[in-house]
Amino acid sequence: MTRAGRTYVVLTVGVGLGALNTGNNLLYLVLGLLLSMIVVSGVLSERCLNGLRVRRLGADAVYAGEPCSFRWALSRKRGHGFALSIAEHGVPLTGEGAAPWVQPGVDYVVRARVTAPRRGPIRLGAVRITTLWPLGLFAKTRVVPLEGLLLVYPRRGYACRDPSEAEQGPVGESSTARRLDGTGDVAGLRELGPQEDARRVHWLKSATAGKLLKVEREREERLTYMLTVPAGLTGEALEHQCEEVAALAHRLLEAGHEVGLELPGERLRPGAGTAQERRILQALAWVGFDKEREEVAA
Amino acid sequence: MSPVRLRLLLRDLASGAAFGSMAISGQLPVWTLALYFLALAVALLGLRPFASSPRLTAALLVPVAATLYLLVAAGQLDLVLAACSFAGLISAQRLLSAPGPGSDGQVLLIALLMIAGGAALSADLLFSLFLVAFTATASLSMGLGVVQASAESEPVPPRRVLSPLSLGLVFAVAGAVAFFFLFPRLSWNVGARRPGASVGVATTGFSDTVQLGGTGVLKSNPRTVLRASLTPDPRAERLESYWVGRTYDAFNGREWTSTTSPMRRALRLNPELRQPGRWRDQVTQRVELLPAYGSRTLILLEQPLYVGNSTALSPAGQQPAPAQEATGEELRFTQPAASYLYSAYSRRPDSPRPVPLELEPQERAQLLSLPPGLDPRVAALARQVVGGTQDPLEAARRLAEYLQREYAYTLELAEAEDPLVDFLFVRKAGHCEHFASALTLMLRTQGFPSRLATGFFGGERVGEGTYIVRAGDAHAWTHVLVPGRGFVTVDATPSSNRSSQASPLLERLLALYEAAEERWRSSVIDYTFRDQFNFVRELVRPPRQRPQEEERRSSLPPARAWGVALLVGAAAYAAWLLLARRLPAQRPVEATRFIEVAERRLASAGLHPREGESVEELSTRLASQGHPVASSLAPLTRRYLEARFGNRPLRPGEARHLLRTLERSLEQLRRPGSPPPSP
Repeated sequence: MTRAGRTYVVLTVGVGLGALNTGNNLLYLVLGLLLSMIVVSGVLSERCLNGLRVRRLGADAVYAGEPCSFRWALSRKRGHGFALSIAEHGVPLTGEGAAPWVQPGVDYVVRARVTAPRRGPIRLGAVRITTLWPLGLFAKTRVVPLEGLLLVYPRRGYACRDPSEAEQGPVGESSTARRLDGTGDVAGLRELGPQEDARRVHWLKSATAGKLLKVEREREERLTYMLTVPAGLTGEALEHQCEEVAALAHRLLEAGHEVGLELPGERLRPGAGTAQERRILQALAWVGFDKEREEVAA
Repeated sequence: MSPVRLRLLLRDLASGAAFGSMAISGQLPVWTLALYFLALAVALLGLRPFASSPRLTAALLVPVAATLYLLVAAGQLDLVLAACSFAGLISAQRLLSAPGPGSDGQVLLIALLMIAGGAALSADLLFSLFLVAFTATASLSMGLGVVQASAESEPVPPRRVLSPLSLGLVFAVAGAVAFFFLFPRLSWNVGARRPGASVGVATTGFSDTVQLGGTGVLKSNPRTVLRASLTPDPRAERLESYWVGRTYDAFNGREWTSTTSPMRRALRLNPELRQPGRWRDQVTQRVELLPAYGSRTLILLEQPLYVGNSTALSPAGQQPAPAQEATGEELRFTQPAASYLYSAYSRRPDSPRPVPLELEPQERAQLLSLPPGLDPRVAALARQVVGGTQDPLEAARRLAEYLQREYAYTLELAEAEDPLVDFLFVRKAGHCEHFASALTLMLRTQGFPSRLATGFFGGERVGEGTYIVRAGDAHAWTHVLVPGRGFVTVDATPSSNRSSQASPLLERLLALYEAAEERWRSSVIDYTFRDQFNFVRELVRPPRQRPQEEERRSSLPPARAWGVALLVGAAAYAAWLLLARRLPAQRPVEATRFIEVAERRLASAGLHPREGESVEELSTRLASQGHPVASSLAPLTRRYLEARFGNRPLRPGEARHLLRTLERSLEQLRRPGSPPPSP
C-alpha cells in the first residue's frame, strides 16, 4: 500500500464511521463508491499483470558494487499493461526498471541500473513485477519464476601492486618474449618516460629538440604477463586479490599487453584484447565457488 | 492538449465537482463560493500564481480560519459549514500552487473531504451527478498521474490510459450502488444532520393581505413547493383538490384582509376527529413543505380536521415544530425552517356528513360586508345573474358559471384604481384573484355570506399515493356559507386556468427532473433498514400480487426473470472466457504466427529448444554444431527478428518460401542415414 493508499483507507474508514454515526445515506453512498474503487483498483491491477510475459535479457557485464544496465523484455498478447516496475526477486541485486506502457504483441525492453553487492555466481530464480496502476493507491506484485545465472565479475578497483616481470620466452600470442621496438609505421614522437627503453630514442630528432624523444609505432610493444591468484586465500583476502588481479588485467590489456591467469587448479594462457579480459573476469568470478561451478556444469 | 495538462485539468475539475456538491446545498457563505470559483477558473486557465510563494499563500489561510472560527463562536455559522468552507479554501490555495505529485494528492484528498461534506449538507439529486463527476475525473486524473510518474520522458497516449479506467469506473459505480442497497443500514444516530435545502430561493409565501392587480408571475413558476402522501390513494394522475392556506373576509376595494379571531378558530377542530381512523370520510395527508415554498403557513386539503406530528427540518436536524393559529384560519409554524413535515386529516369533499359550524353574529356580518363605495353595477349584475334563487350554493354556482363563460383569464393586468370594476366592466379579463373576489362580493351583494380563500389547486401524481404541488398551482377561490353544510368551495376561475400556467416544455423537463428527484429521495435519501429488509424479503419471497395489480401488471418479465437472465449471462460470459483461454488465441503479429509454425515443424522433427532457449539461440547452437537444418533455419530466424522487431515486415509469400526451405531440410533429416537430431 502506498502512502496515498494509506490516506485513502483512513479516509474511507472515516467516511464509514461518519455514515454509521449519522445514518446519512449519502455518506453510505460515498462509502460504497470508495470501497468499490478499492475493488476496481485491485481488478484492474490484476488484469494489468495477467498474461504478462517476461524474458531476462541480462547485462553485458556485471561488476560487484558497480551499477550496470540490466534488461528484461516484457510482452503480452492482449490488453495493455501500465506503470510496471520490474526487479529480480530473492537475490541481492538492487535496482529496478520501469515500463510505463506495454502494448499487446510488442516487446518492451526495460532497462534498470542494477548493482550486485558481491563477486561470484548469483542464481536468479524469479522476477518481481509490480504495478501501481490504476490509482497509485496500492502496489500489486507478481513474482514470475524465471531461472537464470548471473556471473558477477570482481570489482575493478585500483591495483596497488605493479605487475610482476613479463614472461620470457615465446608465450602467448607473440612469437618472441620481448618485442620492444613495436611494429608498423612510425606513428609519432613523444618524450621518453622514466624507465623506458632507451633503444626507442630517435636520436636525430632528440638532438634537434634538445630532449630525448621516443619513437612510437602503429603497434607498440607487447609484453606477456601471467597474473596469479594464489591458493589458500579466503574471505576478504581472496576478494581483494581478485579485484586487484581484475584491475591489473584490465590495465595491462588496455595497454595492449598479453595477460594470462594462474588460478588454483586452472590456468588461462596469455592473450590480448577484450575477449581475453572477459575470460579472465569469468575465471576470477568463479574463484571460490567451485561447488556452484560444478553444479552449473552438471 | 498535453497529457500533463489533461491530468491537471481533470484534477481541477474533480475539485470543482467536489466543491459543487457542497455548493448546491446553498448554505456556504457567498464569499467562500466567490473565492473558490475564482481560484478554479484561474486554475482551469492553466495559471498557477501561488507557485512561487506557496508558504506565504498558505499562511493566508490562517486569518481565514480565524474568521471562520469567530463566525462559529458568534453563532453566525454552523461548525460543519465552517469546516466545509475552510476545506474549499484550502483546495483553492492548492489549485493555484505548483502542480506535482504532492499537491495533486492534496487536492484530491481535500476534494474527497468536500464530497463527504457535500453528503452532509445536501440531499439534492444534483449531488449524485457531482459525485459521479468527481469519481470519474479524480480517477482518470490519478490514473494518468500514475502512468506519467512511471513514464518520465516516455509519453503514453492518454486515450490508452483512459479507456480501461473508464470501464473500471462503470463497474465502480455499479458496485457502489450494490453496496448502498445491500450493506446493512446500521446507524448509531449520533450527530445526525439533516441535509439542507437545494439550490434556488423560495418562490411563494403567504401574506396577511391579498392585493388585486399586477402581473401574475407565480402561475408560470414550475417549482415544487409541496409533496404529500394521501391515504386513501386517489389514484388520479391530476388532483382536482383545493389546498387551503388561509381565508379573508374583509375587502376594502383593493385588498383582502382577515378579521377572524385566531383563538376561536383554534378550538374549532372536533376533539373526536383528532383520533386517526375515527372518521371514515377523512383523507389522511403526510405533507412536506419544501424549501421552495418559503412560508410558515400550513397547507391542508380543504376542510381540515386535525393537524399533528409536525416537524421542522433544518440543517441542524429534525425538531418538533409547534404551530399556532393566526387570523383567517391560518395555521402557522412558530419557528422558521427550511422545510416542514406534518400529518393532517381533512374531510373528503364528497362526504355527506356536515361539519358543525357556529358563527358569531359579527362574524356572519363580516362575511356580508361590502367595501365602501362599491359600484352599484356590481350588485345589479349579480342580481341579474342570480335571479330569484335563495339557495346560496345555487346562486354561487350561477355566478361562477357566468364568470367562467363571460370573462377571460389573463395574467397580464395593468394597475387600475378599482380593480374589481376594471375586471367586471372594463377589461373583462383577470386572474384567479379577480374571479374569486368578484364572485365573493357579488354573493355578498345578494346577501349570501362568503369569503375568499387562498392556497393551491391541483397536484401531480409522482408515486403511489404521492402528489406534488407546484408554485404555479397557487390559487384563490370562494367559500360560500351554506346553512347546515358550512363553507362550501365554489371556484369562478375557468377550470383550465386554475393550476400552473408554466410552459409545457419547461414543465415537462421539470417533471422529469422531479420524478428523478422523487425516486432519488425515496430510494436513496430516505432508504432505511426497513426498506432493505423488504427488498431482501421480496427477493427471497416475492409478494403475491393482488388481482387489481395483476390487471395493471406490466407486460415485461418479472424481476426474478431478469435476475436469472443476468446470472445466465454471467455464466455464459465466464464459460466464454474459459474457452477463450483454452482455444488458440489469434496471434497479434504475423511474424509471431510465422515463427510458431516454424517451431512446430522443428519440434515435429525432434528439434526441441532447450528450456528458456529462444529460436535465435537454437539457430546459433545448430549452426555451431554444423547441423544440416542450420542453413535453412538461420535466414528464417533472421527474417523473423527483422519482421518482429526491426520494422521490416514479411513480404507476401516470403513466409511460405522460408517454411518450405526449412521443411526440405527437415525432410532430408528424416531420411534414413541422416544424423540424429540434437536434443
